[in-house]
Amino acid sequence: MSKEEASAERGPWSLALRRFLRNRLAVAFLGLFVLIVLFVLAAPLWAEHVAETGPNKSHTVDQVTVDGEKLDVVSVEGKPLGPQWFAADGKFFLGADGRLGRDEMVRLMYGGRTSLLVALSAAALTTLLAIVLGLLSGYFRGWVDTVIARSLDVLWSLPVFLIGIGIGIALAIGGLKIGPLELAGGSLWIPIGIISIFSTPYVARPIRGAVLALREKEFVEAAVAQGAGPMRVMFGEILPNLASTIIVFFTLTIANAMIFEAGLSFLGAGVQPPNSSWGLMISTGVELLRVQPLLAIAPGVMIMLTVLSLNIVGDGLRDALDPRGKARLDAALEFETQVGVSGSPQGGAVVP
Amino acid sequence: MKKLGTVIAVLVLAAVAAIGLAACGGGDDETSGGSGGKKGGILNGTYASFPDYIDPALSYTAEGWSAMADTYIPLLTYKHANGEEGSEVIPGLAKDLPEISNGGKTYTLFLRPGLKYSDGTPVKASDFRFAVERMIKLNSGGSPFYMTIVGAEKFAETKQGPIPGIKTDDKTGEIVINLENPRGTFTNELGLMFVAPVPQDTPIEDQSASPIPATGPYMITKSQPGQGWEYERNPQWAKANGKAMPHLPDGNVDGAKITIIRNEQSQVDDVETGKFEWMQNPPPASRYAQVKEDFEGSQFREEPTISTYFFWMNTTEPPFDDVKVRQAVNHAVDPRALERIYAGQLEGGQQILPPGMPGHEEFELYPHDMAKAKEMLKEADPSDLDITVWTDAESPNNEAGEYYEGVLDEMGFNTTLKVLNADNYFTVIGNQSTPNLDTGFANWFQDYPHPNDFFQPLLAGESILPTNNGNFANFDDPAVNKKMAELAEEQLGPEEEEAYAELDKEVMEQAPWAPYGHRTLSTFVSDEINLDSVIFNPTFGHYLSSFEFK
Repeated sequence: MSKEEASAERGPWSLALRRFLRNRLAVAFLGLFVLIVLFVLAAPLWAEHVAETGPNKSHTVDQVTVDGEKLDVVSVEGKPLGPQWFAADGKFFLGADGRLGRDEMVRLMYGGRTSLLVALSAAALTTLLAIVLGLLSGYFRGWVDTVIARSLDVLWSLPVFLIGIGIGIALAIGGLKIGPLELAGGSLWIPIGIISIFSTPYVARPIRGAVLALREKEFVEAAVAQGAGPMRVMFGEILPNLASTIIVFFTLTIANAMIFEAGLSFLGAGVQPPNSSWGLMISTGVELLRVQPLLAIAPGVMIMLTVLSLNIVGDGLRDALDPRGKARLDAALEFETQVGVSGSPQGGAVVP
Repeated sequence: MKKLGTVIAVLVLAAVAAIGLAACGGGDDETSGGSGGKKGGILNGTYASFPDYIDPALSYTAEGWSAMADTYIPLLTYKHANGEEGSEVIPGLAKDLPEISNGGKTYTLFLRPGLKYSDGTPVKASDFRFAVERMIKLNSGGSPFYMTIVGAEKFAETKQGPIPGIKTDDKTGEIVINLENPRGTFTNELGLMFVAPVPQDTPIEDQSASPIPATGPYMITKSQPGQGWEYERNPQWAKANGKAMPHLPDGNVDGAKITIIRNEQSQVDDVETGKFEWMQNPPPASRYAQVKEDFEGSQFREEPTISTYFFWMNTTEPPFDDVKVRQAVNHAVDPRALERIYAGQLEGGQQILPPGMPGHEEFELYPHDMAKAKEMLKEADPSDLDITVWTDAESPNNEAGEYYEGVLDEMGFNTTLKVLNADNYFTVIGNQSTPNLDTGFANWFQDYPHPNDFFQPLLAGESILPTNNGNFANFDDPAVNKKMAELAEEQLGPEEEEAYAELDKEVMEQAPWAPYGHRTLSTFVSDEINLDSVIFNPTFGHYLSSFEFK
């Protein structure tokens, strides 16, 4: 059996998986991401069996025993306990989080759960909105396209972070009530909603572009000729062909949503205290940067590793699911090397 | 002839210089106060949050009063001095302290002649009545102090004037105030910012963004709520007001620019590097020890205050309408923990009257005992355990709020924490239409050295207002109200002090608050400022007029 025949037998998803597994960097970072997920999922176990405290439990006037010596979790001057690693049987592994004397390690693990939950939910919501808007806009064209595309343009042109902060702070005080929809001020759905709405144009526009191209393909014409209605064409014929694009964007949107959440929480407009998230932990850690730098560094490193792993996995998925895109990118890079200029062989932007 | 010409020229120059110096007001030397500093310069200061209002009728925060202490002078004022000396009431726009007659029910004062607002408008005796009426029309948090004026209560209901208890004569400057009942604290209350005379064309609305013409040595020339404000010397001070009130300082700096920097870490860095010359709020708890160690005596000074920090509980709504629940909360809150949260800037305590206030007698009704607190809550079995906990975003108050929320959560309540911007925190929680005002952080600094100041504005039924409410607990106990009213009529003596100590205990038995301590503030300036010259008054905080460049 020839190589081409073997490839044809395996099917596109199997081939994509093989291509992805051949990308060692992407596989390594996928492993790292899985480890991060396992780390945050283990939060209740660590909290109950090792640290013996909850993420919001204050220990301001408590003491821990280290090598037979009793240490204040928070000193009279308000200085928090530094990292104890395993000297206190895992309690205050990364020290206390500030003058409230909460266990930093426990908060880091629980904070990661919040950050990942917000990022995953926001990415899912963004993708869902983007699919619906992209399909409607690209398939119907005309005034539907004009309304949706221009609305996305408007959303795209807004100073996303400033508006996100404004909305986040306003809703954090009063919550949100629109008809039956009611959200409390501290609800995680508020940052999720803000991130989703402002991230949608970044995914919806490429999907719209892909739909515009796909709706002219023969298989779409064939479906229409057989009497398929717009809904069936959009969701039964075109959507499956967008799967690879959607998977790649979903992965990258998780990474972006995590950064967005961290920024909003850092500025007080995202996850609300006493809940923790990595962004919020950086915000409180910055105040103690001179005293306990680890309080800001630890959540910062966790955000960096998570976003880095998701970006590399996203790139790996793109290469695996769209090898022609990778070939185009390689050709462009080769061209740049040969002629010594920045640009693509066609003279336009390189689009994977 | 040439020699004579030179002499004349020198004499002319000297005369011009003398006139120029005199125009600066006060007739002080180039160096002031014998401190070796110099006059002039623009002070760059920073606040962590914008005051509640830049309007004398409305502001009821230490930030607001500090911002306006040298711009709006009441009929009476407080001595420009640190500590206890600064609690002495002295004449302001009035010639003398009031003449009290009719069994303590009539106060007669005379406005100093020739006073002018910074826009050149003459100050009239009737401006005082206008200021009182404007304050009441605006539902100011300070209005309960003046409800004892004859007709004031009716005016507050109808908003139709004039108030018959205030008679003024613009020609003679006479101001006669008739009270329904004697009031031992009224002299102090005439020295508060709320009733500082303002021009009668001042709109009956918040003027925070449109500064009202001033009577003090400085005027606010520009105010951008949320961002900052600026001062210049009041031109009328040198021409008229300074001469009429020579006992008040002219001020050393020529003006000031105040910028809101919400990041207190940046504030400390900026003062250390000289970008700003003063920060109004204390350094954040995380930097406090370092700043104290590095700069105490040269650029930093601790300022003890007469204040109480507390968590209020809304006594009109479940679950805090049950005294047992409120007492349980008092047992659960641990002042020792809050001392650490405030990083040594707070002395723990569980009573209303702070140390240093007449009538303060230490007691501890609710020793910290979480197990007991949980048991009491279980016994009370409140119908509603869902509560919202309010605090402001300024450190360490935000952490105090988080601590309190954690305590309530541990007790068994279902809590939601709301952290508000410090700029409008008290305005929001003082508005009865804000939903879910269950419990939260608040603090109180003395308005004047009389224990009534810690009861009447905060715990009297008459102080419950729809907006600008200061009685956050909505505490309205007829017996306590009666006792407060009776005590307020008396001049303060040993018997009254004893009675206030009893009242403190009596109110705390009903536990509308969970008090947790008494605060120390600070003065922190750059190395360009003469620290010794800076005055921190117990009522008005830092006086702008006292800052002096080295």
